[in-house]
Amino acid sequence: MKSIGKKLWVVPGGHIPLERTGREPEFTSFDKISVLNAAGHEAQLELTVYHAGREPIGPYKLKVAARRCRQVRVNDLIEPQAVPLDEDYSLVIRSDVPVVVQFTRQDTSQAANALCGPIAYAAR
Amino acid sequence: MPHEWSNWSGSVRFQPSRLEKPRDEGELAAMVRRAAEQGRIVRPVGAGHSSSRLVETEDVLVSLENFRGVEPCGGVDAIVGAGTTIEEMNKGLWKAGLAMHNLGDVDMQHAAGATATGTHGTGKDLPILANAVVGVRMVTAAGAISTFNIDEHPDMLKACRVSLGTLGIFTQLRLRLLPAFELRRREWWGHVEDCLANLDELVARHRNFDFYWYPRRDEVRMRTWNPPGVGPEHLPFARCAEDVTGPSGEVLPGHSGIKRKFEETEYSVPAEAGPACFREVRNRVRERHRKWVCWRTLYRTVAADDAFLSHAHGRPTVTISLHQNAQLPYKEYFADLEPILRAHGGRPHWGKKFNMTGAELKPLYPMWDRFREVRRRMDPDGRFLSPFMRSLFEPDEGSAQ
Repeated sequence: MKSIGKKLWVVPGGHIPLERTGREPEFTSFDKISVLNAAGHEAQLELTVYHAGREPIGPYKLKVAARRCRQVRVNDLIEPQAVPLDEDYSLVIRSDVPVVVQFTRQDTSQAANALCGPIAYAAR
Repeated sequence: MPHEWSNWSGSVRFQPSRLEKPRDEGELAAMVRRAAEQGRIVRPVGAGHSSSRLVETEDVLVSLENFRGVEPCGGVDAIVGAGTTIEEMNKGLWKAGLAMHNLGDVDMQHAAGATATGTHGTGKDLPILANAVVGVRMVTAAGAISTFNIDEHPDMLKACRVSLGTLGIFTQLRLRLLPAFELRRREWWGHVEDCLANLDELVARHRNFDFYWYPRRDEVRMRTWNPPGVGPEHLPFARCAEDVTGPSGEVLPGHSGIKRKFEETEYSVPAEAGPACFREVRNRVRERHRKWVCWRTLYRTVAADDAFLSHAHGRPTVTISLHQNAQLPYKEYFADLEPILRAHGGRPHWGKKFNMTGAELKPLYPMWDRFREVRRRMDPDGRFLSPFMRSLFEPDEGSAQ
């Protein structure tokens, strides 16, 4: 199948809520990226995390196999270092093949849970 | 020009006046005698995976990297060079039809460093790696070559097994091993409460069992190792994520060639205190530390042994280790958790971060004074006592802490 999407994506409004209610991991508060790689080649992604008060951190490296999708919680990114909770951040995602990126936030800080899932900005 | 030495994680840095790499025992012995004449301190160093201050010195640092090799010597014994990495040792033993009874998670350490710091794997019936040491060959503080073995010098071996490089510079270890064997390792995802509810059975029914707890998910990754065809086929409360069978030396270490740098502290508590201690640790991390801590916490079991300074001396043990990215602050995190671990009778891992003084450590080890007697006899002039080591074993003579 022909590839779909773009190679450069941006999520400017990252912020992982610190608090949570309910059993985890289902009801952990999280930010998540969902990546679709419809191409016939493995996608190699490099994420850079921009912060409000310090230099960017990265690259965080991810792979998405050919013709597969993958969902990754930003909370779980560990290498090169954990992304702090309860702080504003932005994500720039570079891929070597066109992919589609969706961003999801689950906020369980209060019992009336909220979930939102906008498409990230496709830069090119 | 002296060069800065750094451990694997980068948090221990110092400038020894000399970094020596003797090619054989003769050179090593001459170097120790020369240091004695000059009044210099000598500290042996292994692969540098440890993140405690054991090797720190401004004097002479000695690498044993030229003392390598595995040599079977009849029955289930083998001689292993002090500077042989655990990975090399495992490969050499496998070729000889032999294997260690157990191994830790990482295999980059040198044999002498791993054993001398009480490094261990997991398994309720399996003692620390150093329990396999039945003989040592060393260069003494006087620059002589001495050998000791378990049959003729049982007390000396109990001191040598976990001795932190303070009795002599070991050049060879004689290990008592097992015939080579394979294990099946499986890794399972599950919820922490399900793991804790089944913990006794998990520990009892598997040759080796441990779990990693992920503080930002409250999930666990449980690991089981059993001989192929032995042990439960399923864990009804978990899903299997990995299933691999191979030589024990390949499937026991979970992180061969680990790239991700981390800092670590680990305490050993009596086995019966393990679950309650872990629950307190989990609660504290969830309450205070999730903002910055993503790295997992490791829960393992270790059989009792009789090495004087073993963290499992005289008691079946649970170890709980905390990790943090090497690039992120770790001191406040570890300092906040250490009181919980210590309140349960915790003894620190010698090779990882800890903040205890010699005076605080002494009451935790029933054979502390016996070890000190041996140390004083073997090294009356303190040739192997850096300021930090002196602060542990001879605190009345000055402290570095």
